[in-house]
Amino acid sequence: MAEGTVIKPDLDFVKKIMKSGGGDSLKKCYQCATCSVVCNVTPDDKPFPRKEMLQAQWGLKDKLFGNPDIWLCHHCSDCTAYCPRGAKPGEVLGAVRKMSIEHYAFPGFLGKMVGDPKYLLLALAAPVLLLLVVIGLLGNLRIPEGEIIYAEKFMPVIAIDTIYILAALFASVGFVVGIKRYWNDLKAGVEFSTNKWQKMVKGPLPIIIVNQIVEFMTHKRFKNCDVTGSRSFSHLLVFFGFVGLAITTTWAIVYLYAMHWESPYPLSDPMKILGNVSALILLVGILLVILNRLKNAGKAGLGSYYDWLFICIVLTIVTTGILSEVLRLKEIAHLAYPVYFIHLVSVLFLFAYAPFSKMAHMVYRMTALVFSKYSGREDKKF
Amino acid sequence: MADEITGTSGTIMVVGGGISGLTTAIEAAEVGHEVFIIEKNPYLGGRVAQLNKYFPKLCPPTCGLEINFQRIKNNKKIKWFTMTEVEKISGSPGNFDVTLKQNPRYVNENCTCCGKCGEACDAEISNVFNFNMDKRKAAYLPYEMSFPQRYVLDPSIIGTDTARKCKDACEYDAIDLDMKPKTLNLKAAAIVWATGWNPYDARKIDNLSFGSVRNVITNMMMERLAAVNGPTQGKIVRPSDGKAVGNIAFVQCAGSRDENHLPFCSYICCLASLKQATYIREANKSSKATIFYIDLRTPGRYEKFYKKVKEDANVSFVKGKVAKLEEHPDTGDVTVTAEDTISGKKIQKTFDMVVLATGMEPSTVSEKIPGKGTYDENSFVVPGEILATGCVKKPSDVMSSGQTATGTALKAIQTLVRR
Repeated sequence: MAEGTVIKPDLDFVKKIMKSGGGDSLKKCYQCATCSVVCNVTPDDKPFPRKEMLQAQWGLKDKLFGNPDIWLCHHCSDCTAYCPRGAKPGEVLGAVRKMSIEHYAFPGFLGKMVGDPKYLLLALAAPVLLLLVVIGLLGNLRIPEGEIIYAEKFMPVIAIDTIYILAALFASVGFVVGIKRYWNDLKAGVEFSTNKWQKMVKGPLPIIIVNQIVEFMTHKRFKNCDVTGSRSFSHLLVFFGFVGLAITTTWAIVYLYAMHWESPYPLSDPMKILGNVSALILLVGILLVILNRLKNAGKAGLGSYYDWLFICIVLTIVTTGILSEVLRLKEIAHLAYPVYFIHLVSVLFLFAYAPFSKMAHMVYRMTALVFSKYSGREDKKF
Repeated sequence: MADEITGTSGTIMVVGGGISGLTTAIEAAEVGHEVFIIEKNPYLGGRVAQLNKYFPKLCPPTCGLEINFQRIKNNKKIKWFTMTEVEKISGSPGNFDVTLKQNPRYVNENCTCCGKCGEACDAEISNVFNFNMDKRKAAYLPYEMSFPQRYVLDPSIIGTDTARKCKDACEYDAIDLDMKPKTLNLKAAAIVWATGWNPYDARKIDNLSFGSVRNVITNMMMERLAAVNGPTQGKIVRPSDGKAVGNIAFVQCAGSRDENHLPFCSYICCLASLKQATYIREANKSSKATIFYIDLRTPGRYEKFYKKVKEDANVSFVKGKVAKLEEHPDTGDVTVTAEDTISGKKIQKTFDMVVLATGMEPSTVSEKIPGKGTYDENSFVVPGEILATGCVKKPSDVMSSGQTATGTALKAIQTLVRR
């Protein structure tokens, strides 16, 4: 008898996909491949998501994770809208991506905690308690009198910098470990893709990374979605909102440490203008994200807990950020300080849990896109 | 005809004069029961009359229909009404009261099918028998072998000079322009609903671009194209430029087995495409046919037919559903995109013409039974007080329609006896 491949279906994995937003309809897929045809972002060779639907039905975890394709998918939902069986390939791949983030998470237990609504309170409690303890130790656990100055009367810059830099470092370590594991799996699984690992199509890695960043800045790939085409614009707003705020933060560090100029800064200052404009862009962006999701719910589904947790955190950050500034200027102290506290909590949540929340999609997708260009997986140019 | 038509306590009314309705009616009449056939069209024969060839023996439809028409003619127990629709049903099994509406044909029994009225007629209408692929005169015989052999005047010309010209051309005093719609009342003991199916509207499958890509047709249009009495006298040519089709693709499950369209399998489309592949292969020795499918369903003995077609090297099969069709702007050729799931490659192939294997929508989607009808979730009739047979009950081929129609005749007779 000929040697066969022994396939070991992981049934728990299948159940988990269905629970994590893939839906009970996963098993209804009958492999007609309508999805692969209507998808505008798949390569033509071994296209997704038809093969991923089969792998998901069979619980072939390693094939799904160690493959760049789940991240080449941009969740356009063209596949879901045209699926003759209501099997929602878009949602299934979204669920698999979430599980992949969890799979590569370091430390692993945080991956589970952030992705599971059961642990939401616990996940929230950590940054809340940490900040309460610090503020308590500083003796600032009250609404201060007089002019509102957050740094002087509530949370000194040195405390903020220490906590958030540590959080960022913690996240970076998580990312580095996770991406390293993922990259190794990608390399190991490369025989499933078109060309061999050695066949580089676009030259050295640094150039490919730069290419990929340029592609990303224009959302060229994302714009190919049909059913949910409006998503690329709102996503771009959110992204550039964050970029603007990151530049603002760096700028503020220069003011503080290089020029020894302490906050609050006047509204007319160019750094302040950039910060406020970026915040507004982020607000408009995230509101559009929510509107798009509601508008497309019929065809593309509403999204999972994982998606909404991330959306809510971003929304909380931007609204409390703007409100902290407005309430400070209006001198409404009894609201300003609590709102600012929520702002601090949500930013810390975003920073510390970045490798475990949907925020991680940024890094994993980038890695997968770079890999697919590097390994010759891509046969289309975006 | 009198406005009150008398059915006896033992009358069976069969609604729909296609192969199922005819069979039920004839089987019941031949064992001695009085039967009324009610048909909406000006002819009997239904969908089968539109086919080029039909299973299982691949005969032309006239073959089987002619025998049935003969049996009707020879049986005094059967009364048939064309251009007639059921308006209302009340009562219950054993004692139904039915209101019928008969539309005017404007041509009476004197018609000899000499064709003079058609020659004189200067107005043309879209030919629905050929799925609007051509036009016909507004004074027309529905199709060569149509039963009854009697012309029809389209209501659109009534009151015009054209109608007058048609009447003047008739040498037999067969045209009566004063005919009016009639309401008829009928008593029946049993009712069999056999109104059949309509081809699913391919326009609704937006990614298959039917209606915008010119050389995409449906399988029922293909039957008319291949039929000698069709719009092209049996030459399989494409709509955009009349070019003979040498390379054709069939798109299976076009709307069927699809929750966005018809969630069920339409049963006949796989065999229809295999059969139509033989049309083109027989017409042109060098022609090629490609069938894109999810699964090929060839029930029972039809597997043999599939194997026979498969032996032909010029017929190829691709396992993967077509989800995109595009027209080449210069040549009018059609590019098909599918994933060949065996090789795992998304492929594009170009064809002269593409046939969508559209499925069966029960006629009760658009026209419900005007009485106590019961339906399943897809609007197929579930037999209850009103019996049902044929494709309005379940998608079927001609052969099983015939078999179940005989069974339904027995059911109807039981209703009469049980009283």
